[in-house]
Amino acid sequence: MGNKQTVFTHEQLEAYQDNPFRQRIAQVFSEDGDGHMTLDNFLDMFSVMSEMAPRDLKAYYAFKIYDFNNDGYICAWDLEQTVTKLTRGELSAEEVSLVCEKVLDEADGDHDGRLSLEDFQNMILRAPDFLSTFHIRI
Amino acid sequence: MDLPMSLPYLQLTAPSWPLETETVSPAAMEERPTWEPEAWGSPGGWLAPREARAGPSLSSVLNELPSAATLRYRGPGVLPWGASEEEEEDGERRLQTMAEVAQQELEEPVPSRELPWPMQARRTHRKSHARDQVAQGSGSRASNCALKFRRLKEKTKEGLHTLQPWAWTLKRIGGQFGAGTESYFSLLRFLLLLNVLASVIKACMTLLPTWLEGTLPGPPGSDTSSPCGFYNPSPQGLVTFPTHLLNLLSGEGFLEWSPLFYGFYPPRAHLAITYLCSVFVIGLLYLLFILHRSVSGLKQTLVAESGALTSYSHRVFTAWDFGLCGDVHVRLRQRNILYELQVELEEAVVRRQAAVRTLGQQARVWSVRILLNLLVIALLGAAFYGIYWATGATVELQETPSVQQMPLLKLLVDYLPSIFISGVNFLLPPVFKLIAPLEGYTRSHQIAFILLRTVFLRLASLLVLLFSLWNQITCGGKAEAEECKTCGYNYKELPCWETRLGQEMYKLLLFDLLTGVAVMLLIQFPRKLLCGLCPGALGRVVGTQEFQVPDEVLGLIYAQTVVWVGSFFCPLLPLLNTAKFLLLFYFKKFTLFSTCSPASRTFRASTANFFFPLVLLLGLAISAVPVLYSIFLIPPSKLCGPFQGQSSIWAQIPESISNLPQTVQNFLFFLGTQAFAVPLLLISSILMAYTLALANSYGRLVSELKRQIETEAQNKVFLAQRAVALSSATGALRPP
Repeated sequence: MGNKQTVFTHEQLEAYQDNPFRQRIAQVFSEDGDGHMTLDNFLDMFSVMSEMAPRDLKAYYAFKIYDFNNDGYICAWDLEQTVTKLTRGELSAEEVSLVCEKVLDEADGDHDGRLSLEDFQNMILRAPDFLSTFHIRI
Repeated sequence: MDLPMSLPYLQLTAPSWPLETETVSPAAMEERPTWEPEAWGSPGGWLAPREARAGPSLSSVLNELPSAATLRYRGPGVLPWGASEEEEEDGERRLQTMAEVAQQELEEPVPSRELPWPMQARRTHRKSHARDQVAQGSGSRASNCALKFRRLKEKTKEGLHTLQPWAWTLKRIGGQFGAGTESYFSLLRFLLLLNVLASVIKACMTLLPTWLEGTLPGPPGSDTSSPCGFYNPSPQGLVTFPTHLLNLLSGEGFLEWSPLFYGFYPPRAHLAITYLCSVFVIGLLYLLFILHRSVSGLKQTLVAESGALTSYSHRVFTAWDFGLCGDVHVRLRQRNILYELQVELEEAVVRRQAAVRTLGQQARVWSVRILLNLLVIALLGAAFYGIYWATGATVELQETPSVQQMPLLKLLVDYLPSIFISGVNFLLPPVFKLIAPLEGYTRSHQIAFILLRTVFLRLASLLVLLFSLWNQITCGGKAEAEECKTCGYNYKELPCWETRLGQEMYKLLLFDLLTGVAVMLLIQFPRKLLCGLCPGALGRVVGTQEFQVPDEVLGLIYAQTVVWVGSFFCPLLPLLNTAKFLLLFYFKKFTLFSTCSPASRTFRASTANFFFPLVLLLGLAISAVPVLYSIFLIPPSKLCGPFQGQSSIWAQIPESISNLPQTVQNFLFFLGTQAFAVPLLLISSILMAYTLALANSYGRLVSELKRQIETEAQNKVFLAQRAVALSSATGALRPP
C-alpha cells in the first residue's frame, strides 16, 4: 500500500473503497482534519473499525462520521446528507425529509431538534447490527 | 468564569459554513488558515476570544460537563484537534490541568485500546501505565495474578477463535454478501462440528464395543425358523455391478448387513447398553450446544430495543456496512437500503390505512385472510396425504414382480417418499410467497408468516413420513391385527423394521444431497450462463440469482432433523452427514461466488441469530418424538439388532441396573419414584417463576431508567441555559 509514503491522501484511499462515506472517514480520522492520514491515523481507523473495538468507541466515531458539519450535533441537514448518500439520491426529497423527521422523533431524547452525542449513543448502543456493520474486515 | 481556555467547538447556532464535502478541497484549506473546518475541533477557533469576552455560551458550558471529558481531552501529549499553533503554550498548561482532571475521571485503569484517543496518545498512555505498574513494584500479588489470569483467558479465547475452520472464508462472504449469508455458512459450520462430535461418540460407543468383544455373527440365513418369520438380508446368488450400485443408493443388499444399519449389531448386553446410552448422550450434547448458541444470539436481540420504536434510526445509522468493497456490492447495498426505507414508509402508510378501516372493510379483510389460511391448510393437507400415500404405496409396489425385475424402476419406487417430500418442499414455498401479499399484512409480518408456514411444511412432512412408516410397522397401532399379533410388529413385510427405518432416513439424506447438487448444476449454472448472454432486461431479471438465506437455512435444519431421527437406527448416519455437509459447504460457497449476486433484500443477521437456532431446537424436539416412541413402545425385531428378544428396547436398562450393586440400584430407583419427581417439579416451577419475575422487574427498571435519562438530559440543558443567563447577566452588570 503506497511506497513508503508517510501520508496517504484521500484520493489514494478512494481507490480502495467505494464507500460513500469515504471522505468523512478520512476527515474524521486524519490528524489535521483535512483528509490526509499518517500511518498512525490509518492504524487508528482500522483499530476503531476492527471487531475488537468496544461498542462505545465505535459509537463515538460513528457520531463523528455522520456529523457532516462538525458542529457536535447531528442536525436535520446532516441526516439529509446521510440518507442521500445511503440511497444514492434515489429517494424523493419528500421521502428523505420524512425519514429524517422520523429519525429525529425516535432518537432525539432532549427534544432540541438535533441529535447530540448522548442521544446518538443511547440509540446506537441498542442496535443489534451496529457492531457487525461498523466493521471493516481486513 | 475562567473559560477562555476551553474550546468552544460546540456551536449553538446553525453552522454558518454548511459544508459540501464534495466541494471542499485541500486547496480551499489554504485560503483560510485559521479555520480547520473538518476537524473535530473549533470551527471557529478565532471566535474564542470574542465569545469569552461576552460570557460563556451554552455550548461551552455543556462542554465543561464531566460526560464530555472524552471530547475535551484527547490524550497525553496530544493537542486537542483544531487547536492552532499560537495557543500552544496555553495549550500545554491547559493540557496538564485537564490531564489531572481526566486521570481522576478514569476511575479504573482502562486498557489503552479502549480509549478514544489517537495512536500517539495511546502509546504514551501505555508507556506511562507500564511505568506506573513497574514503579508500584509487584503491587499486590493477587492483582498481578488476576491480571495474568485475565490475559491467559483472553489468549485462550483468541486461540480457540483461530482454531475455528474457514474463519477467513466466512469473513469474505460476510463482506461481499452481507451478514445474513454469513450466518447461513456459520450455521453450516456449527452443524458440521456437531456432527463430527456425534460421529466420534457413536463410533466409540457402538463400533468399538462391537469389534472388541469377539467375532461377529453372520447374517441369519433362510433356514432359521422362528415364529416371527425369517430375515435374509444377504443378496442371493451372483449380484451384478449395476445392482451393487443401486444397492448403494437404496441401502439394501450388501449395505443392509453392515455397520451402517441397526440390524448388524449383535445381541450382546454391554453393546445394547452403550448403544442406547449413546443416543441419550448425543441428544444431550446437541441440546447443550444449540442452547448455548441460541442464548448468545438471544442476548443481543433481547437487549435491543423493540423494532417499532427505533426502526428508522437503526436503519439510517446501522444499515451501511463499512466493510463492503467493490462498486457492484456498494451499489447493491444502496439499492437494498433504498428498498428497506421505501418498505418502511409503505408499511407506515399501510398501518395508517389499517387504523382507519371501517367495519365493513375489516370484515372483508378478515374473510380474505380466513379463506387464504384455509387454502394454505388445504395445500398442506394435500401434500401430507401425498407423502402418506407414497410411503404406503412403496411397500406394495415393491412386491409386484414387474418392479422387482427392473432395477431402475425399483430404485424409483424406493425413492418415492423422498421424491414426494422434495417435490412438496420445492413447490409449496413459492405458493406461500404468492399468497402472503394478499393477506394485507405489513411486509415484516408477511415474511414471518411465510417462514412459519415453510418451517411447518418441512418438519411436518418428515413427521408424516414417519407416521406412515409407523402405520406399517405396528399395523396402525392395532396390536390385535393378524399380522402384528404374534410378534408385536408386522414381521411379514418388515422383518427388521429398525433397519428399514434407517434405510428410509439414509435415502432421504442421499436424495437431499443429490437434489442440491442437481439444482446447482442443472438450474443455477445454466441460468447464469445462458441468461447472462440474454440481451436486455429479461436477461438481467432471469439471470440474477440471489442466495435466499431463509430457504437455505430451513433446508439445512431439515437435513439435520433427518439425521437426528435416523441416527438411532443408522449409527453411521452422523458420519455420512459430516461428509455431506462438508461437500455442501464447498458447493454452496462455489455457487455463491460464481452464480449469485447479493440478495436485494437482506435478512437481518440479528433475526437470523435468534430465529434459526430456535427452529433448530424445534427440529431436535420433533426428532426426539419418533426415537423415544420406538425405544419405549414398539417391540424390537426378534431377528436382528442388539435388542433381540427383549420386550422393548428400554427394557435392557432395568435389566442391567439389576446387575449393579445394591446402593446404586436404590439410588437409581429412588430417582424414578414420586418422592423425587414431585419436589423436583416444584423446585423447577419456583425457579421459573422467580426468573420470570426477575425479568419482568428488569424490564420495568430499564424503561424507568430510560425515562430518567430523558429527564436528566432536559435538566442538563435547562441548567446550562440558566448558567449562561446568570453569567451573562452578571457580565452585563460588571463595569465595562
